[in-house]
Amino acid sequence: MAGQGQRLTVVPTVTVMGMIKARLAAATRGHALLKKKSDALTVQFRAILKRIVAAKEAMGDAMRSASLSLAEALYVAGGPLRHVVQQSVSGPARLRVRAHHDNIAGVRLPRFEHFLVDDGARAPLLAGLAGGGQQVSASRAAHVRAVELLVELASLQTSFLTLDEAIKTTNRRVNALEHVVKPQLENTVAYIRGELDEQEREEFFRLKKIQAVKQRELERQVEAAKLYAVEKVAGEVALKRGVSVGAAASMLENGGGERDEDIIF
Amino acid sequence: MYSWEMLSFNIHDGFLEAIVRGNRSGLLTAADYNNLCQCETLDDIKMHLSATEYGPYLQNEPSPLHTTTIVEKCTLKLVDEYKHMLCQANEPLSTFLQYITYGHMIDNVVLIVTGTLHERDVNELLEKCHPLGMFDSIASLAVAQNMRELYRLVLVDTPLAPYFSECITSEDLDDMNIEIMRNTLYKAYLDDFYKFCAKLGGATAEIMCDLLSFEADRRAVNITINSIGTELTRDDRRKLYSNFGLLSPYGHEELAVCEDVDQVRGVMEKYPPYQSIFAKISYGESQMLDKAFYEEEVRRLCLSFEQQFHYAVFFSYMRLREQEIRNLMWISECVAQNQKNRVHDSVVFIF
Amino acid sequence: MAGRGNAASNNSALIAIIADEDTVTGFLLAGVGNVDLRKTTNYLLVDNKTTVKQIEDAFKEFTARDDIAIVLISQYIANMIRFLVDGYNKPIPAILEIPSKDHPYDPESDSVLSRVKHLFSADSSSERR
Repeated sequence: MAGQGQRLTVVPTVTVMGMIKARLAAATRGHALLKKKSDALTVQFRAILKRIVAAKEAMGDAMRSASLSLAEALYVAGGPLRHVVQQSVSGPARLRVRAHHDNIAGVRLPRFEHFLVDDGARAPLLAGLAGGGQQVSASRAAHVRAVELLVELASLQTSFLTLDEAIKTTNRRVNALEHVVKPQLENTVAYIRGELDEQEREEFFRLKKIQAVKQRELERQVEAAKLYAVEKVAGEVALKRGVSVGAAASMLENGGGERDEDIIF
Repeated sequence: MYSWEMLSFNIHDGFLEAIVRGNRSGLLTAADYNNLCQCETLDDIKMHLSATEYGPYLQNEPSPLHTTTIVEKCTLKLVDEYKHMLCQANEPLSTFLQYITYGHMIDNVVLIVTGTLHERDVNELLEKCHPLGMFDSIASLAVAQNMRELYRLVLVDTPLAPYFSECITSEDLDDMNIEIMRNTLYKAYLDDFYKFCAKLGGATAEIMCDLLSFEADRRAVNITINSIGTELTRDDRRKLYSNFGLLSPYGHEELAVCEDVDQVRGVMEKYPPYQSIFAKISYGESQMLDKAFYEEEVRRLCLSFEQQFHYAVFFSYMRLREQEIRNLMWISECVAQNQKNRVHDSVVFIF
Repeated sequence: MAGRGNAASNNSALIAIIADEDTVTGFLLAGVGNVDLRKTTNYLLVDNKTTVKQIEDAFKEFTARDDIAIVLISQYIANMIRFLVDGYNKPIPAILEIPSKDHPYDPESDSVLSRVKHLFSADSSSERR
């Protein structure tokens, strides 16, 4: 796995971990959404594939009948029909296409639609007036039908290419999330958690240590207090008897006591 | 009526009549068509045609054949035969032969004029012209910008000049007018041809007038059907009908007001010769009409060969050849497009 | 194209055609032909005199124009400039390879269809053909 062992360079603190966890949650949700999108697109893509194959075959038939109808028209109206038609082309086209956009899971698919511009200014072609007009209009109809199919096919094909591209992009994103971003975040979380645990353990140890020291101190003070009490009792006893050599001894001890303090602390 | 022609016809025209009858036997027969319909590729068609009179014209064509090439070469053969006959012809047969080509000439003029309107290259346009309709000054047609100029500069020297006097009034040339102009010209041409044939007299007049009447009536019916639903007004429509033929004048009046195909049928069924044609097609259908007309025309053209000593054989021969080229075009289109079940739909057997 | 009289409709686009004479004629009959003020057309008529260079130029021009949404190209012509067609990968204008009458449709050489087939082969393409 590509993302194994990688992690973000962050300061291992609880706040950062909260942020990273939020990012991880977002990445997981994003991954799920993208996966769904990719699935939706793939379904659409499959459907379009089937329709393209069907439409290509239908187009073959339509083109065949269209060109045969033209041959019929030429048969009746004679060769000049070709030139009449070619020269009758002037000005803007009557048969045009318009592009719509379908939205499939956030992908804009262009869809073409043919339409006839009826400007009305131009009269329909009178070609083949003296023979063949029927065939000419039949041929025109056949070709319009062929154009219809071709336009549909063109939308399918464009959708095909766009969807193909979109699916590739989506899959790339899904894979990136799955194999790079998410492991990275997970690793980071694990790292932070490890660091934090470590810190906690250290803290605990230190606490223990301090507690031990404090305990010892306490014991010593208790000890000192006891000693003091004993001496005080001895002092009182001595006082009652009058000042004795014990007082000089205690002064000596006091000085010793000061020296002791220095050693301990 | 026929007796005197026999005495003098062969002096001038016997040779050519022999030639044209000889040529006629070169037309493809039903057996040829059957063979052609069996073809799988255009090369097969070429192979079959090499056994016919078209052989020499196709033999040097390189192998990826196109339908247009076949049609072009076959037309070339027709043109060669026509030129040969025209060279040998005496008056008035030569004039008669020239009359036959005026239809193509009209097409060419219209082609050049529309091409010029859209600023196409003249040489390119000339290539597309029908070779039978060429005349010397055709290239200079391109200079004209309106009808008056066209007439004054170019057409006045051509045999078409008288026909143009009718449509010279329309100053602006657009697509609509062009098609009307073409049909007006054609009408004038048919009228003129009719008069010329009537003047020739004898069997020629009788047969040719019959054939031309049929042609005129067919055009009238076609114009009516094809103008249904267009912007062409009744008056315009009426003006495009020829001034002769079986339908003239009463049938024309009725056709002019027709609004759909069944009304046309109603009108046509009053005329016995056309009853049989309309009987073949079912109600509401007009697609097969052209074929029915073609078949009837071919039948009539063939009949003209039954008589001797008249010019109609030349007309018939040219028309039959053109029909044959149309047949070949259809067959090769069907073969090229792999639609052999449709081959028999439009082929008109000549014999 | 700046010089176009785009008054007809503002978000409409054209269909461009590169094909043989009869196919072009047919589509022109249907009314897809467009000639603008500069006399540039949206179709190229390919006959045996047309050079591959001309086809290439037309293809490049049509695919670069922003008022063209679909380019129809006869398959046998597309085969002549296959490297260009295959190298083209923008979604708009869409390139469509169409059959022409003398050349039966060959789904194998269609650049898009071959990709479709490739993706589809797992499903059902084997019994479909």
